Amino acid sequence: MTWTALAALGILLAGAPALPGIAIKTKAFLSGRRGAPVLQLYYDLVKLLRKGSIYSNTTTWVFRAGPVVALASLLAAALLLPLDGQAAPVHFEGDLLAFAGLLALGRFALVLAGLDTGSSFEGMGASREVTFASFAEPGLFLCLIALVLATSEVTLSGMLGGSLGAAWSRAAPALVLVGISLFVLLLAENSRVPVDDPATHLELTMIHEVIVLDHSGPDLALILFGSAVKLALFGALVVGVFVPRAGLNGALAIAVLLAGIALVAVLVGVVESVMARLRLTRVPQLLAGASALALLAVILLLR
Amino acid sequence: MVAAGVLLILAAGTLAVALARWPGPADRAFSLVFGAGGALTAAPALAVLAGAPPSELRFESGIPGGPWVFGVDALSAVFLLAIAGVGVACALYGVAYLRGERGARAVGLAHLYVALLVAALVMVVTARAAVPFLIAWESMAIAAYVLIVFHHQHAEIRRAGLLYLVATHAGTLALFALFAVWGAGATDLTFSALAERAPLLPRDGGVVLALGLVGFGVKAGIVPLHFWLPEAHAAAPSHVSALMSGIVIKMGIYGLLRVLTLLGSAPAWFGWILLVLGAVSGLLGVLWALAQHDIKRLLAFHSVENIGIILLGMGAGSLGLAHGSSTLAVLGFAGAALHTLNHALFKSLLFLSAGSLTHGTGTREIDRLGGLARRMPLTGVAFLIGAAAIVGLPPLNGFLSEWLVFRALLHAGVGGGGERIAILGAAVLGLIGALALACFAKVVGIIFLGVPRDPAASAAHESPAGMVRPLLVVAGACVLIGLLPVLVLPPALRAGRLVAGVAGGVVAPDPAAPPATVFMLGLAAALVAGMLVTRRWPNRDQIAAQTWACGYAHPTPRMQYTASSFAAPLLALYRPVTGVRTHRSAGAFGTHAIDPVLERVLRPAWRGVRAAARWARPIQGGRLSLRLIYVQAAVIALLLYLLLEGRTP
Repeated sequence: MTWTALAALGILLAGAPALPGIAIKTKAFLSGRRGAPVLQLYYDLVKLLRKGSIYSNTTTWVFRAGPVVALASLLAAALLLPLDGQAAPVHFEGDLLAFAGLLALGRFALVLAGLDTGSSFEGMGASREVTFASFAEPGLFLCLIALVLATSEVTLSGMLGGSLGAAWSRAAPALVLVGISLFVLLLAENSRVPVDDPATHLELTMIHEVIVLDHSGPDLALILFGSAVKLALFGALVVGVFVPRAGLNGALAIAVLLAGIALVAVLVGVVESVMARLRLTRVPQLLAGASALALLAVILLLR
Repeated sequence: MVAAGVLLILAAGTLAVALARWPGPADRAFSLVFGAGGALTAAPALAVLAGAPPSELRFESGIPGGPWVFGVDALSAVFLLAIAGVGVACALYGVAYLRGERGARAVGLAHLYVALLVAALVMVVTARAAVPFLIAWESMAIAAYVLIVFHHQHAEIRRAGLLYLVATHAGTLALFALFAVWGAGATDLTFSALAERAPLLPRDGGVVLALGLVGFGVKAGIVPLHFWLPEAHAAAPSHVSALMSGIVIKMGIYGLLRVLTLLGSAPAWFGWILLVLGAVSGLLGVLWALAQHDIKRLLAFHSVENIGIILLGMGAGSLGLAHGSSTLAVLGFAGAALHTLNHALFKSLLFLSAGSLTHGTGTREIDRLGGLARRMPLTGVAFLIGAAAIVGLPPLNGFLSEWLVFRALLHAGVGGGGERIAILGAAVLGLIGALALACFAKVVGIIFLGVPRDPAASAAHESPAGMVRPLLVVAGACVLIGLLPVLVLPPALRAGRLVAGVAGGVVAPDPAAPPATVFMLGLAAALVAGMLVTRRWPNRDQIAAQTWACGYAHPTPRMQYTASSFAAPLLALYRPVTGVRTHRSAGAFGTHAIDPVLERVLRPAWRGVRAAARWARPIQGGRLSLRLIYVQAAVIALLLYLLLEGRTP
């Protein structure tokens, strides 16, 4: 474990709430509006943390545990990513399954917390969330498998660290496919357009936002912070694939990562400006498409 | 020591029958003696897994097939541990579970058969010769049958029992063929003699492996041989379902692993077949489970899914054997063995919890339940732990074994030989996990969360301590195994090395175990700390109110999502393989699931056989003259055969 890795993690967590702001600002700029401040989510978080909570009479401890488990699992997943381009604070053989498993743990906690309210809105969101996740999950696994094949490494630190540069010179087309696929998964996992719309106010059309409809106060703050962290993690994954940073020194590597993630957030905003949300029945096709791209990469590498 | 344990377990069963007149002492004696027997059985298994040399017992049998040999090695030990642990938990649970039926049914006899079943299971995994193995195998099958039809007044339970009996005997037939082929040239039928004979087997042991795949595959419930499994597991009393799903079907896995151990090698095609069967069983198992509305049928289909995951590990291991990669073989077989143990724990936990909630509500229909986490808090916690474990979420035991299987598949991918394609199995593992998450979100959410959908659920009560205590102990085991990879991985790898044929010598510890342990403990600590911190958040008002229904003032339980509606989008997307029919009307929505293998293949085939039999019936008309003509014809045919062979009688 190195100090740069921990520093990178700290900076990433502190900066994560700016990412949704960057996406919204981009969107506003492209549509000729001024938009909310980039730091809006920080203000929201502070406000929510000082508020009380309302709990439905139907809920149990599962509802209260949901946001905590969701955030804790994301923070644990963050420990597995080599944010400084060298090695993550924790790494062991096959830690990619732990990364995917932790994302699943967070999802499980939020879905159950939603179902705990006994509301049909949350039920609908929960049902959609697990349905679409079952299409996104093979995509994520195929991307990770492609990276394993490209680098012959079986840890996240190995495949996004030192071996990635050599892999780019060997298998650039496959890695481009993996990066694109990961970007689509980023949009889906973080409930952005074209899969979900974080800005909509019509509960019937939402996925992620409708699961957390009943959360309030500090609970909601944990969930919003968790969403920002998740966006940052997927951003770090996309940047990690496209920009091998093993050769850079610590501070430069972190700076490149942050700039890259900010660029990803801008891209998210651009996508939201030029596309409409897909019909729900089309979402599995999009995700299957992303999986197909990753599968193509795997096949290229197995050739 | 194992023998003493088995004798104690049998004595416990006998006591339960002998003391049937005095229910209180009978229950106490059964629990105490059974528990002691389980402990005695588990002790040598733990010792062997910790590194003690394997032991053997020989008896001269005096019947054909040679001496009867029994032994405990690392592979047996993993299964023994599961049998002893889950067996004791299920037996003790059964005491409380069946208490209400005393007087109405022969409860003592049920306890005796549980004891017989567990004793037979111990004998299956310790037998080192074909004859005692087959005897134990059949005893196990029969004891399980008797327990399945415990509530035999219901026609569908008798039918499920019959289906099970037919399937298991079809499998046993294949096992007889297996040992006949294998033992044909061997000195006797002990496993050591069979192992010596292994290099001389035709087609690199391909025939033996194929027969084993059928014979053991029926028991394990590998798709398409799973058709008996959901019926039988749903029909049995819950503690028997837990034993069957947790342990009995694992004997199929044990058999395959033992055959691979004795052969010492496997052709590559066998590894590929295992991988494909594993992927198919895993995916179809979980998809069929999604469509179920009966909690026990749903759990039974999840056993098919988990057998699929175990097969993925075994497939990777077999490929390692075929391609001479011992790391791959060890990881694959260790993952399969550990997942077997873990599945035994969390699946029995889930079945026992399901029994508890059936006990408390009187129904197994998921759509009639709801809000049980308030009314049955301990059962709820136990079920939630089991659900998170079966989905493979860290930091629980299901994750740990899936992680080993996953590592094996990744290792195949970076190996560089023909086995590289096996890495796609890792993606299948991911898909299975995501679908299992969907399914258990449905089960936990609809049954335990929200508000009751039916009076049966609102009148629910927590089960007696005798049922809840075993639940909590098994749940604790699931958590502990998940938190301590550093303690659990070495024994699992020891079993893997035995099957892979690289046993013995000093082995370097798994370098991934310590960081994984630190990570899991840290995660658990973070979860607990997070809960404590948010609970004591400073000056925080907490208001209790109605669920926010977006302005709608009078939400009713009927407005909640149901199991049908929750799973509907997924089932619609996977309709071609699930065989689920949807029916909607203005006021109701429902789905109806059938088992495609049973309903579309086996039943039509059986109707065809029956039609053919009716056509052939006149041959056996019962007239004496006709029969004499048959005898005559047979004699003439035999004489002709001898003449053509050139010999005179």
